[in-house]
Amino acid sequence: MTRTLAGDVVFAAAGIGSVLSAWRVFRTDSMVRAAYWLLASFVGVGIILVLLSASFLGLVLMLMMAGEMTIMAVFMVMFMMNPAGLNPMTMVHQRRSATTAGVVSFLALAGVGLVAHFPDRPVSPDARPTAELGQELLGDSMLVFETAGVTLLATMIGSIALATHKGRFGDAQSSSLPPPVDPAEPVAAEGAAEPPESDPHAGMDHR
Amino acid sequence: MGLRAALSRLAAAAPVPVFLAPGAGGRSPAQRLRLSPYLEVVDSPRRATVMLVVGAVAAGAAEELHRVHDQLPHPRAVLWWDMETGATAPPPLPTAERVVGDEAAVVGAVVAAHRGLLSAGRPSSPPLLADVEPNDWRGVGPFGQGGKGMTGGTPYGRPLPTRAPDRDGLELDQLVLTLGPWLPMLPAGLVVEVKLQGDVVQEVTLAPSPGLVPGAAPADVFERARVEPVPIAELELARARHHLLWAGEVLVLLGLVAESRRVLRAAVAVVPGAAAAELAHAARTAGALASARRLRHPMARVGLVGADRLGEVAGPTARASGVVTDARTDDPAYRSLGFEAVTEEAGDALARWRVRLGEAVRSLELAAEAGDRLTSVDCTPEGPRGPWRAGGPSPSTALAHLAPGLLVGLEWGDAVVALASLDLEPAELAADAARPAEST
Amino acid sequence: MIGSVVALLVLLAAGVVATALIDSAVGAVVGGEPVGRALKGPFTRSALLAVQGRTTTERPDAGTWRLAPALLGGLAAVGAAAVPLGRGLAAGDVPDGIVLFGVAMALVMVAVFLHGWSPNSPFPLFGAYRFAALALSYEMPLALVLIGTALPAQSLSVGDIVSSQAGLWNVVRQPLGLPLFLVAVAGLAFWGPLNVADAPDLVGGTAAESSGPALLAWRAARSAVLVAAAAMAAAAFLGGWNGPLLPGPVWMAVKTMGIVALVVTSGHRIPRVRLERFVVVAWVVLIPLALLDVFAAGIVAL
Repeated sequence: MTRTLAGDVVFAAAGIGSVLSAWRVFRTDSMVRAAYWLLASFVGVGIILVLLSASFLGLVLMLMMAGEMTIMAVFMVMFMMNPAGLNPMTMVHQRRSATTAGVVSFLALAGVGLVAHFPDRPVSPDARPTAELGQELLGDSMLVFETAGVTLLATMIGSIALATHKGRFGDAQSSSLPPPVDPAEPVAAEGAAEPPESDPHAGMDHR
Repeated sequence: MGLRAALSRLAAAAPVPVFLAPGAGGRSPAQRLRLSPYLEVVDSPRRATVMLVVGAVAAGAAEELHRVHDQLPHPRAVLWWDMETGATAPPPLPTAERVVGDEAAVVGAVVAAHRGLLSAGRPSSPPLLADVEPNDWRGVGPFGQGGKGMTGGTPYGRPLPTRAPDRDGLELDQLVLTLGPWLPMLPAGLVVEVKLQGDVVQEVTLAPSPGLVPGAAPADVFERARVEPVPIAELELARARHHLLWAGEVLVLLGLVAESRRVLRAAVAVVPGAAAAELAHAARTAGALASARRLRHPMARVGLVGADRLGEVAGPTARASGVVTDARTDDPAYRSLGFEAVTEEAGDALARWRVRLGEAVRSLELAAEAGDRLTSVDCTPEGPRGPWRAGGPSPSTALAHLAPGLLVGLEWGDAVVALASLDLEPAELAADAARPAEST
Repeated sequence: MIGSVVALLVLLAAGVVATALIDSAVGAVVGGEPVGRALKGPFTRSALLAVQGRTTTERPDAGTWRLAPALLGGLAAVGAAAVPLGRGLAAGDVPDGIVLFGVAMALVMVAVFLHGWSPNSPFPLFGAYRFAALALSYEMPLALVLIGTALPAQSLSVGDIVSSQAGLWNVVRQPLGLPLFLVAVAGLAFWGPLNVADAPDLVGGTAAESSGPALLAWRAARSAVLVAAAAMAAAAFLGGWNGPLLPGPVWMAVKTMGIVALVVTSGHRIPRVRLERFVVVAWVVLIPLALLDVFAAGIVAL
């Protein structure tokens, strides 16, 4: 990609924007806002990666973070002691050591950025960065890696299938401890899994 | 300014978004208003230009009325359709414009108010409630937010939720909401206090709105049947119409708004003296709805009622749980027509749907066969919700006892469908509450 | 560059208007009402929303509440930019077009969540949480079937994917793809049976507290998402601009609006899903089917 003024402007905006929104993460008082400021920061980083001709990496970063930050926000609201996040709460702990660590690592990384020698040969327009990246990362083990990835996904789906109430030990509702999930189901005697009652709507398979 | 004037002119021609607040006797007229091409009945007051109080609303519901009124965006107007049932005071809304007359007159008044607001400089109705915080909170606490620490105080004026174990044994926040009386997904006039964890219902209490005035509605054919013989044809047509109107309400909850209008149109055509083609169309509509496969999954296994949990409940809800009980089987006039009760076994919302719509079809057949037969006055008449003898408790009271246990543990979407499937009438609850407490 | 962006926005706006008209017409047919009168509805209703006043709730997050419709509309535009209307006619026919589309559609979840979370009101919040559960369920099938279409094209560019269908459309080559993608389209725009976020049982869900211009913007943005996703379905599965006689862009428009009409009609015929059951079905049926689709596409491509 050749350097243009528009590209420079977007680069600067994305860089400054991602630093500012990363700073807002620690200044806001709500967990949902903190999660989405962090997402905004990652989107800025993703745009920079796209401008650096690593468009696949940049886009995948944004793709992953969109879902992840929502899940993080939901989980934080769920698990925090502060119900529903109504009371303003500070997003930082151990302020002094955290500030020190932050400043030191920022300076160190900025130093690397200033000192390091970056290659300045332009990328040829017909380069295929995505394919090259795949070769570089995985090389000959692509098949192995993909198989492992799909196996992991299948494991996830399998564990979810087991965790639903229609798990491998039968309908969880018919033998769960009181109170039953479905009030219409009588509470079964302990340890005795009832046979599923015949479904009056023949052909329908649910619950 | 030119653009705004042009937009206002176009907006004045829009179907009027109207939010309905039905009071006593207002539920079925409100249903009919949905069919007017000049109106669009909206489900949130945030979208309406006109709020229409249908029927009588007593001063007990003043705060709720004011709350709904203040949620309408400007420009807004509020109208009161006085059904002229006599002895009813106007609703506690100082800016309400009274309208009398039939449906056409009311639609005309609503449209005139809407056009007046948009193009003729009719003043927008001013807020009725003061904009105040529910609790004093400003300046309290380290950030001035009204509370200290993780869980203290009333941050921003609202107390924090309490916690309780959920169905999986985790301690989770409880959200306590008071809903109604004019929330469109609940029966009009019903106030529901619900404790939720997430959107799973933990506890429910039902009560009729204090704004419902017992006895303000004119007696319908089912009420007359308690004290005098009425033509079976008329009674059965009223039953078919009732069940079809109910089906229209349920279809809205399932997200099928356009289809519900088609069903409503078929329902309001079912009146004594209607053309045979209209009645045949209504019967086809009811039959098709009862057996529609696409409508099964949102209702199947929702709101299960076992026959052993029915208690005092009779009528279609009991018949959907496999109990063969129908007061009409005791009536010699019905027996002479070869009447048999429509029943289903499953006891879920789908079974209640099928029983009611099956009954609608059966009622239309009965009405055609009945000729000029009359009901027997010494038999308890079977109303659309079950038998209701003169002076006895209404079927809705028994249903209201059943409902809370039914809704606990359901997700909100299912809970709404389960509640609708019982066909509660808050006005009946109000009438029971007003009776001297001789039997509980 | 600027010209193509303007063209994109104009086309998207036209798609939104067409969607509103189709919705009104289908609603009138299903409701048994005259279609002609219903076709005026979208214009007069929009004008009314444009002149209605704003309302507010008790202590909303006003900033994100205003941002959400703009974000949703912007994401729809970004997603649509990846889809070429004709050979080489895309505002952003980047080499990683389907990834760009995927990013925009993944961020839809953020826009909807913020729209429900910001008003500080229970029913919008329920809608927001419901949408998060829905989005996590349809996103995997969405991504997998799109990757399936990239395999025969040997490219992540939407233009190349369309070109690879010159002989045989993906709807035939990968029969599982389009049905799974259509579920995702309905989910993305939370339309019809998958309208769990703005559902009638929540008096409009995330939009329950919105009124006036904000509501108009939200509805338009939601339709724009539907149009963008339908355009991607037309490009990835129905051969995009390929077709006899008519010019390519016309074919694209016809196919896109055909998909829109299908989703809109389903909304008037199929009741709202029960979310809990949909999530189970998505994870134990739809995702394995989508995996099967990718495997089959991969084997064919080898």
